[in-house]
Formats: sequence, C-alpha cells, structure tokens
Amino acid sequence: MPKLTKRLTVAAIVLAAVTGAATAQQDFPSKPIQLMVAFPAGGSTDIAARIVASIAEKALGQPIVVVNRGGAGGQIGWTELVRQKPDGYYLGFINLPATNTVILDPERKAIFTEKDFTPIINQVLDPGVIWVRADSPYKTVQDLIDAARKSPGTIRAATTGILSDDHLAILMTEEAAPGVKFRLVHLEGGAAQFKEIMAGNIDVAYDNVGSIVKRVQSGEVRALAVMDDVRSKFLPDVSTMKELGFRTVISSSTRGVAGPKDMPTPLVARLRDVLKKAMEDPEHVKKLEEQGIAIKIMIGDEYEKYFAETHAKAKKYTEWAKNRPPM
Amino acid sequence: MDTLAHLMAGLTAALSLQNLAFALIGCVLGTLIGVLPGLGPAAGTAILIPLTFKLDPTGALIMLSAIYYGAMYGGTVTSVLINVPGEAASVITCIDGHQMAKQGRGGTALAIAAIGSFVGGIVATIALVVVAPPLAQVALKFGPPEFFALMLVGLCLITGLGGRSLLAGLTMAILGLLIAMVGIDPVRGAPRFTLGIPSLYDGLGFIPVVMGLFGVAEILLGIEQPRHQVIKTDLASLLPSREEWRRSIGAIGRGTGIGFFLGLIPGVGAIIPTFVAYVFEKRLSKTPERFGHGAIEGVAAPESANNAYANAAMIPLLTLGIPSSPTIAVLMGAFIINGLTPGPFLFQERPDLVWAVIASFFLGNILLLVLNLPFVGLWARILYLPYPYVCVGTLLFCVIGAYSLQQNVFDIGVMIACGIIGYGMRKIDMPIAPLVLGLILGPFLEKSLRTSLEMSAGDFSIFFTRPLCLTLLVLAGIVLVASALRLPPRELREASTT
Repeated sequence: MPKLTKRLTVAAIVLAAVTGAATAQQDFPSKPIQLMVAFPAGGSTDIAARIVASIAEKALGQPIVVVNRGGAGGQIGWTELVRQKPDGYYLGFINLPATNTVILDPERKAIFTEKDFTPIINQVLDPGVIWVRADSPYKTVQDLIDAARKSPGTIRAATTGILSDDHLAILMTEEAAPGVKFRLVHLEGGAAQFKEIMAGNIDVAYDNVGSIVKRVQSGEVRALAVMDDVRSKFLPDVSTMKELGFRTVISSSTRGVAGPKDMPTPLVARLRDVLKKAMEDPEHVKKLEEQGIAIKIMIGDEYEKYFAETHAKAKKYTEWAKNRPPM
Repeated sequence: MDTLAHLMAGLTAALSLQNLAFALIGCVLGTLIGVLPGLGPAAGTAILIPLTFKLDPTGALIMLSAIYYGAMYGGTVTSVLINVPGEAASVITCIDGHQMAKQGRGGTALAIAAIGSFVGGIVATIALVVVAPPLAQVALKFGPPEFFALMLVGLCLITGLGGRSLLAGLTMAILGLLIAMVGIDPVRGAPRFTLGIPSLYDGLGFIPVVMGLFGVAEILLGIEQPRHQVIKTDLASLLPSREEWRRSIGAIGRGTGIGFFLGLIPGVGAIIPTFVAYVFEKRLSKTPERFGHGAIEGVAAPESANNAYANAAMIPLLTLGIPSSPTIAVLMGAFIINGLTPGPFLFQERPDLVWAVIASFFLGNILLLVLNLPFVGLWARILYLPYPYVCVGTLLFCVIGAYSLQQNVFDIGVMIACGIIGYGMRKIDMPIAPLVLGLILGPFLEKSLRTSLEMSAGDFSIFFTRPLCLTLLVLAGIVLVASALRLPPRELREASTT
C-alpha cells in the first residue's frame, strides 16, 4: 500500500509542521529578532527604527537588532526581506512609495511584488516639502510656478533619487499646474540637496519635512509648501499645497514594519501589539518629534488600504516618469 | 577660532579611553605591517578593515588611520636592519640606514628615523588643521561639474605618474572604472553587468577587491622572495651625538616641507617625496660623498618626508574626497563602508568625527614615537618570525575578514580571484594604483557626470562654460599629454608604481 503510506507520511509531516508552528508561536520569540532597514545607518528610517527597536525589545524579552542593508534605493534590503522565512525573526522596514516604485519600474527587475510582504504596522508619515534657499527669488509656490511656466525646463528641481517620493511629487506639481516643466536633477538625498542649493547649482528642492525642519528653523532655507492634507506640526507657518489650491499634490515618505509574505496571523497580531505599544510610548514620541519626524500608526485594514492606494498612485506616476522626456 | 574649538572638542573625543585604545592598537598594527616586509600599508589597511566592523565610525577611522601612518614608521626597521624596505616608502632609507647599521650605528639610524617621522607627522598635521577647513569651505562651492573635473585630474595624475607607460596606466584606470559599473545604475536604478547574481546587485565589494589586489597578491609575491640576513646591531646606543643632531635638524625640516607639499598632489605616491628629499639633501650637503656610506641626513630627510607626506595626503581626501594614493583609496573605502563620504560636506555634517580623527593624528604620532624609540628592539625581533607562519596567518586572516564583511562566501571568492589577478598584474608590470583609484572614484565620477548633464539638460557645454571646471579639465589634459610625452623623469614614474 504505497499510496496509503505516502498519505500517512504527508499527514504526519503536516501535523508536525502545524504543531511545531504552534509551539514555535507560543514561545516566540526564543532568539533575537532582526529588523532590516533598507538604507544606510544614520538616515531618517534608521534613526526611527533604532528608537522603536530599543523600546519594543523590552516588551518582547529578546533583542531586536537593526541591520542596515542599504543600496540600490532600498532594493537590496527588500530583496533580502522577501527571501526570509515568515517566522517573525526577520522583519524589515518598507518605505512607501519607494518600495512600490522599485516593484513598478520594469528596469529594476525586482524579484518581488507588492504581494510578497506582510504589512504589520506603520510607524512614520513624513510629508513632502518644497524648499528653496533663504535668499531665493521664489518667495511662494506661485512665484516658482510662474517662473517655471515662463521658461519651461530651466528651473532646476532636485529629487532625492529617481522614482523617490520627491520625484513623484515634482510630477504631481507639473500635473496640477499645466504648462509647468522642471529640469529634474536626481541627487543622493537631503545632504546633497542642501549643498547644491547653497552653492546655487539647484533652484528648488523636493524633500521631506523631517530632513529639512532644523534648517528651516535656523533660517538657512525657506519652506514654500508642505504636501499633506494638514499643516505639519513642525512647520506650522508653512501652507499646504492643498491650501494653495493644488489639491492633488499630496506626497510623503511613509515607513512601517513588514515581514515576508505568509506570516501566520497570530504572529502578526503579537508583533503588531508589541510594536504599537512601543510606538505609543512617550519616549518614542518624544525622540521622533525631536527629529521632526511625524508618527502615524496604521495597522490592519487601514495599513493594507494605504499600501494599496499608494501602490496605485505610484503606478500612475512611475509610468509617467518613465515616459517623460528628460529636461 | 572656530577651528581651535573644533580641534579641542576633537582632542577630548580622541583622548577618551576607548578612542585612545583604538589609536594605540592601530599604531601597533601599523608598525607591525611596516616591519613585515612584503606587506605594505595599502595591503595592511585593507586586510585590517574587517577588524573595525563592530566599532563606531569614529573609533574605526581613528584605528585605520593609525594603521596607515603607523606603517610609515615601521618600514624603516627592516630597511636599516636587513636592507629590505618594510614598505615601499622606506626604499631610500636602505641606502644610508643599512650602512649605518653595518657600522654599528643602527640604533641611532632608527632613532633619528623615528624622531624625523614624528616631526614630519606633527608638522603636517598642524598644517592640515590650518589648511583643511578653508579648503573645505571653498570646495563646498564646487558643483557636480567641478567635482567631475577634479576627479578627472586626480585620475589623470595617478594614471600619468604611475607605471611604465601611459597606455598601461590608462588600461588599468579604465578597468577600474568598468569594475565600478557593476551593480545597480546609480541614476536609473537598472542592474548592470550583474549576470543575475543578487550578490552583485550592490557591485563588487571594494574591500574584498582591494584585500585581494593588495593583501593576497603581496603575500603570493612574498613567497617568492629570498629571506635575508638580519644584522645584529647595537640598539642600546639610540641617541644621536651632538654632531649627528646638528646634521639632522636641517634635514628633518627640509624633508618635512618636501613631504608636505608633495602630499597635496594626487598621484605622487609615498615614494617620490622620499627620493626628492634624499636627492635634495645630497645636493645641499658640503660633503655629498658621505651619502651612501651612512650619512645620517640620508635617513633623517626621507623618513621625515614620508610621514609628512602621509599626513598631508589626508588633506585632499578630507576636503575634496580625492584619494591621492592607493592606501588613501583604501582608507576612503573605510569611510564609505562606515556610511561617510569623504569630502567638503563631511566637515559640515560630521565635524565631531572629522576633528576627532584629525586630533588622533597628534596622539598617534606621539604613541608611535614611544613605540618606536624604546621598543625598537622588540620590533626587530619580528623579523625572526618564519615567513611561512606569517604568510599562512595573514591569508587566514584575509579569508575570515572577507567573509565577515557581509557573512557572504561570495566575497571570499571575489578576494581570492582578485588576489590571483593582482599577482598576475604585478608579474606583467601593470600598475595597480590606477585600477584602485578608478574603482573607488568610479561611482562618484559617474554620478557627478550624470548630475551635471541633468543640470544642463544634456548639454555638454556645462563643462566648458564654468571657468573653474574648464581650468581643471585643461589641467587634466596637460597631465595626460605630459605623461604621453614622457615628461616626468623616469625615476619618478618608476618610483610611483606602488
């Protein structure tokens, strides 16, 4: 009866797997958890990751080790994340919409799709901001729009990388203000933007509030507008694009914890609860606010809906970015 | 005064027990590398980078810098005692240093070398403190086109000065640039030359490549070299006589000056300053016939020059992000893996780190003087270590180091392959320096070229309409033409191959 033996074996294996998984979940975590950040140490994602890890590990009873797997705009780290076992011992930060654009850009040949992640909890929503040098002739968004409309393709606008949220935000601005066309310059993050703006090589920069808030406060640079539904609590005097009449220019870098796909529901729930508690901890709130990073906790359906919406939006602008003639 | 305040803060950081310990470990390891013949500072620094992985960036860079300039001290010991330079910059010290040892004045030769190195190192570091901040301020005004042109000048200098022919230099530089292109395109994000191997998505690791090209290749070459007789010299009488002091002081001063100024020019390498300093002393001397027969100036001047050079060469790295020699390129690699890009921005972004590292140069030079004067006898004993043990031990260390970078066996393979390639390149006399410079500068060169073109909407005239950029490009052209016409003296070209 080879067939029966085979069936029995299969049943035994399944049973063993199920009970094994169950016991594994009961005493989870029994060893340190790795928390991958797809960007180098010292960046905004990394800073926030280390803060939440240091608080959550106390509740979990096992260390949470932040591992930086930077490179290729996050692709290296996310490739690594989706290839892990969904046992909860390897988690990582996903950065929306950067994770989405890596998936959506066919040139990237990413080995993962949006379905390869188990979103657990969102931590940060850092809105986009348009900023210029303090002595720039552009005092308002309208000044900038007028100038860009008058001589299309000459105003040099810096992103923090191709298909970054800032890149998409520039495309949204062009869409909302017909006739406007910027000359895109892709720089490697906020520090490079600041240097080139100060040296006069760039006219306007698109970045996130968290990376520029201290320089706005010190008066070195001027924020023209924040790209969110509501004003940023860190830049209360700066109007939103929505207030200025550009309703569709809403952009942010949103960061949360995810695991590889097919993580067992109880495990997700456990991690979500622990991380949520850590993110609500006064220490977490205080430390992130000091950095100018806005907390936005999203879980379950809300987070999954946000992921899907971001993906759809990113799809539209990624296609547009790929077809837009460089200027 | 701002500088002084920064320096004081840096000194406080460098004086913390932890950082002081890292400086000391670095100095000891550096001296060891210097002493071991066949293992140069580039190889030594590359091999030891994995040791610093778990350290914070400040500690890691303090330690690696100490290894780098420490090797400059250590090389002298073997030059004097066995007539074999421990590293290339001590070649010229062999001439008079070894003669002094034969005459029983080896201890004095080593002492004056240590003192000269100390003076050279300290003076150059003081000059670094004075020159670097204003230079970094100026460099902040550079845009992507200027940086592109500047890197081109650096690459042309190294290509033009290094190696037997311009063709060989250019071939190697281009090979380096090509290897640098492996991985994800920095602008468009598309994978290039990755052959579908995920390990290659982030490019070939700079550290495993240089560990192979320098470390493994030098060990392989070392196996071929004959062993040398160690001279038993009286190391008790260390201090120079009054007459020797009188002769040395001027030589140390001039050697320091020469080393410092040549250190500012990329591509000069560590050897040329020592040659220039030696020849200069000989010309200036009233008794040039003494040179070659144990003239103390012949030890003092080049040893001061090579340490002044070593510290001065940090200036183009820290202010412009331009490595001027392969060893500095390895050091630049160490900055990069610690998430820091050397260049003008570093002074603004991480003044704490930059100044702690600079301040550690002062402490390191003092530590090295202590390590080298009373303990010189101890270092000399290392020469009795049988080479097979040294060789196997170092190789083992290389393999562990390469693996520990990312816990990836692939990196070990890269290192071994590069070791064999590096060995072959030396055998057919192809210069390694342009390759390494191309490899480390490649991503920055590409990025600045493409950002410049984004700024100009694809118009190449951006490189010719900005006066500073144009000047630099013309300079790069002159360097290439001059080396094609073989204008630099032959000795200079040969001396700069390592």
